[in-house]
Amino acid sequence: MTEVDSPTWRVPPRWVLLVAVLSIVAAEVGGGSMARFKVELTRWARDGMLARPSVHGLVGVRDVDERILDEALVKFDAGLRLFHMHAEGMGLVIIATTMVAATVIRQDAARRAIIALLTTGGAGYPLGYLVWSALIPSYGLERSKTIAEWLVWVPFGTATIVALWCLVGVVAWRMIKS
Amino acid sequence: MSAPVRRPPLAVVLVALVMLALGETAGAVMSRLKPEIQRYAGARVAANPAAHGFTGSAEYDDTVRDRAIFTAEAGLSFFHLHGEGVGLVLFFAGALVAAVVPGRRMRALLYVLLVLGGLFPVGYLVYGAAVLELGRDAGIELAERWILAPLGISAIAGLAGLWLALARRRT
Repeated sequence: MTEVDSPTWRVPPRWVLLVAVLSIVAAEVGGGSMARFKVELTRWARDGMLARPSVHGLVGVRDVDERILDEALVKFDAGLRLFHMHAEGMGLVIIATTMVAATVIRQDAARRAIIALLTTGGAGYPLGYLVWSALIPSYGLERSKTIAEWLVWVPFGTATIVALWCLVGVVAWRMIKS
Repeated sequence: MSAPVRRPPLAVVLVALVMLALGETAGAVMSRLKPEIQRYAGARVAANPAAHGFTGSAEYDDTVRDRAIFTAEAGLSFFHLHGEGVGLVLFFAGALVAAVVPGRRMRALLYVLLVLGGLFPVGYLVYGAAVLELGRDAGIELAERWILAPLGISAIAGLAGLWLALARRRT
């Protein structure tokens, strides 16, 4: 039985673990900040939106504008919450999946590529929610979502999904062979 | 210096990875194909009017349709969330079983319970589909009684067994 065949784990490279733990730490800090600075964050977003009335379709009628501002603030808050949730989850996903990749993929180049995709995809994807929230006051709901989608969610999310299914294929192949 | 840590069988790892991959993919599908999913759900509800208790009153039927579509979408959303979460639970619980539970038969039993529990999120896919085909209440009842409850109990039993094994090991 070779080292790779033996039923023990191999630890992923240190930089991968550092990125994963950093993602979890950022999520925790994000969650704490959301609670501690809720008022300040809401005020910042509201002021940003009021400074760009045309971007948000504000018409100067209080009843109408307040509804628009409330909806945007709910999305702003949702973006922060989703960052908190996804960064925690993806940090753990990075640790679990790269440990499997380090253990079961024999070829160096393939192993490095899958680990790099899992790590960058997993750590990058949650940042899209921060980008979305941060851009809402300046660009409005739809435009900020489109920017976050094409700049972050699609590339990083695709990297993670592709790498994960490749890993599923490798593990299934290893099972069939053994 | 620490000793090498034993890993669980590849079958356990595979189920955990498949759940994670399905969870991720479902999230992407929900985000990118929302209108298509809503259209499909609406078409399935319309194809099963009796199951949804349509009366012919447009206002009432629209409310029933909207509720069914919302519930089906919630099923997909729960699948995304639980696929990621339960995939991780299965992975780490399986790794702990491999590392610390003595006795091959005990480990095998815990793997079986945990893997069955790892399939729990699939219940939410059934939940979403059954709501569209059988009506909201009947669909939820079917998924909860026949899939979510048994698989959930299996996960709890597996985790409880792991806890007991860890507790016994300490003494």
